Amino acid sequence: MSIDSDPDRGGLAARLAAARRADGRARARLSAGIDDFFLGEQDRLDDRMRLLVTQMLDGIVRGIETDIRGHATRLLSGHAGKSGAAVMSIGQGRVTDRLARAGLLRDRPLMDELIARARGDVIAQALPIDPADAHVPSLLIRLAESGDSVVAAAARAMLAAETQRRAAAGDVMRPSDLPADLHHRLLWWIAAAIRETALAAAGDDPATDRAIVDAAQRSLSAHDEGDRAESIGMRLALAIDARADELGPLLVESLRDRRLILFIACIAHALQVDYDGARALVLEPEGDRLWLALRACDLDRATVARIGLSLADADPRRDLDRFADEIDLIAAIPADVARTALAPLTLHHDLRLAIDALARTDER
Amino acid sequence: MKADGIPDIPVSHARLDGALCLVSADPAIDALNAAAGGAIGSPLAVPPLATIARLATRLGILVSRRVLVADGEADLDLWVRAQPDGSDVRIAVSGWREVHPVAPVIAIDDRALLDADLRWETDASLRLTFVGGEATGRWGIDASGLLGQPLTALFEFADDALPILDALARHRPLEEQRATVRGTTQAVVVEAAVRRDTHGGFAGMTGGARAVVDEPVAVAEPSATGPGADFTNGLDKALRAPLARIIANADTINAAPDGPVGEGYAGYAADIAHAGRHLLGLVDDMVDLQAIERDGFALDVEPIDLADVARRAAGLLAVRASNAEVALAKPLASLTIPARGDFRRVLQILVNLIGNAIRYSPAGSVVAITAGVADGHAFATIGDQGKGVAFDDQARIFEKFERIDPTEPGGNGLGLYIARRLARAMAGDLTVESAPAEGARFTLALPADTPRDKDQ
Repeated sequence: MSIDSDPDRGGLAARLAAARRADGRARARLSAGIDDFFLGEQDRLDDRMRLLVTQMLDGIVRGIETDIRGHATRLLSGHAGKSGAAVMSIGQGRVTDRLARAGLLRDRPLMDELIARARGDVIAQALPIDPADAHVPSLLIRLAESGDSVVAAAARAMLAAETQRRAAAGDVMRPSDLPADLHHRLLWWIAAAIRETALAAAGDDPATDRAIVDAAQRSLSAHDEGDRAESIGMRLALAIDARADELGPLLVESLRDRRLILFIACIAHALQVDYDGARALVLEPEGDRLWLALRACDLDRATVARIGLSLADADPRRDLDRFADEIDLIAAIPADVARTALAPLTLHHDLRLAIDALARTDER
Repeated sequence: MKADGIPDIPVSHARLDGALCLVSADPAIDALNAAAGGAIGSPLAVPPLATIARLATRLGILVSRRVLVADGEADLDLWVRAQPDGSDVRIAVSGWREVHPVAPVIAIDDRALLDADLRWETDASLRLTFVGGEATGRWGIDASGLLGQPLTALFEFADDALPILDALARHRPLEEQRATVRGTTQAVVVEAAVRRDTHGGFAGMTGGARAVVDEPVAVAEPSATGPGADFTNGLDKALRAPLARIIANADTINAAPDGPVGEGYAGYAADIAHAGRHLLGLVDDMVDLQAIERDGFALDVEPIDLADVARRAAGLLAVRASNAEVALAKPLASLTIPARGDFRRVLQILVNLIGNAIRYSPAGSVVAITAGVADGHAFATIGDQGKGVAFDDQARIFEKFERIDPTEPGGNGLGLYIARRLARAMAGDLTVESAPAEGARFTLALPADTPRDKDQ
């Protein structure tokens, strides 16, 4: 497009406004650059993580968006004729951008979930495979064939959920398997963004509003938090209910079979904490809280060492040297001391979030 | 010839004391350590091995790792296990595979999956642990129901389960395996790479399947007239300089002289350097190709000693052979086989043939290089004990851009074509005799200079 063909850009006022905007953008860019420069290497998301989080977020948003638009279109074409339905396709695929621009996606719990899941996926894929016996089926398949029907059903569901998630990994749209509260929040944001474009294109229309709300509620009721791989992992850990002497081998084998979700769920079950809490300490590169957790489960030195080695092999952020230096000290921590130190983790999930929010407010 | 997967090479053992000094070692580890400046009684001198041993001692558990160890100009791909044993550490090293400097940028595991309609993965017992891909719906596959089932519940293989059993027994990838999706009439081509555990053992397969297209897949034919006449008109020089710079820079990044570089980036740098060397080799071959395809191509034919050239070629590849644990049987030093040929080109042909023989030889086997005179021709024969070349392939491998084994990393399919053209340009020939599983014998024949009075 030539400059002349755009009358708005011809005026002096418009040019000055554009220059002011550019100035603002330059300031914002510098601030972002400075923040980025002073980020510690450990805190920075690497390119792969950025890509995975972007794909995951975009895929989930598009999945929900397509659901809402699709159903709302159906409702509108039934009532308001074709023109109402056509409104629903305006702005398709641009919802993520809109939500990001509004700053809504800077939601801590949402980003925590997405980053932790992407990190977990990367680590799980990098875990060294090490079957205990090459002639015996791997851990999850053995569990799926267990004589205990509760264990077997949970293990089969786990296999299916992990497979489904992995199969969807490269897709443009993927099912939202977020925790219910996050799904709920994200879905209404998406509904609002869809409504915004419809409003801008066709003006206020109660029928459109109703269709969007109905479609959103339909999508909400179809979401089952219990279908998430993480929830199924917790059910499986509960069903196995590993005795003290079974827990160590189970944890080591789940890592060697690249079943990180099961590993985290077993730790959560053993410590009586929720999945998110256990996941946070498993993914922390420093590992300090994980070593405490393993000691709180009364695992011996060799088991802690095997777990530490597997995780370090899969996660280059971990300092294996430091771990090797500290393993004797870690192994010497009394189990009850470790349990006491981890007590804050056993607090209710929402209370932990509130404590975290308070602490951050104090920092400002 | 060598299996495509990692061959089963005997494991070498060593024992270190509490101070990580070498107490005893099998010859392979001893030689590797000696090459790095170490000796029995002194600390282990191969850094990656010493690191693993130290880690095992400190953690007090078995540590298994795959490492690359520099050995002369090549890298060795080793699977190392270090197990604390009282105050000592026992080390077991297997693998001993030379890493080809021209390893493909895309590994076979990724390649098989790139254009797959269906993706799958199994554990070591060949039970399905993953089934996905857009074709699951299209072909009516119940992915969830198949999880935990044997691979054969998903595919019906053309020759019963033989290819699978063969792959399992030999730890080999599946290549272009025809099958049908069980319970349907969908014909597919199945490919799979082998997954490795931390000891280098078989940990399952990861593969893909794509629908069989009825029409033969069009293969991009290289131009019948060879590379354009302009190629050597300075283009090779134009390519060589930037390639050399890319390789040098990538090697520098990989060596990290200015401090640590992220492991991933160092790996990319190594890939870049390898790919660069591969391209440089290709430039050399293209120059040769253009030369031999030019009208009036003539060589500097003179009296040569074919046995001497064969000994020299074998000498050039002695290190590579020893790394691959392949013995080279050279013609006796006293043997002289007068022939007529271009010394440099004959050497080039023999280096190519012996290099191929080493590449496709199983460890512990012998590549026999013999020379003699028969029917007025001097000949040099390179025989290996590898898997051989199927009769149907024996003509094909001398054609342009054809490979003995297309899955083998390295090579561009020009070597044998150029070698035969060169041999014929010297009034000789290059032929192959082989039967599957009985090795291959490549014979370079040249006009004898002094007929019929000398023989092997």
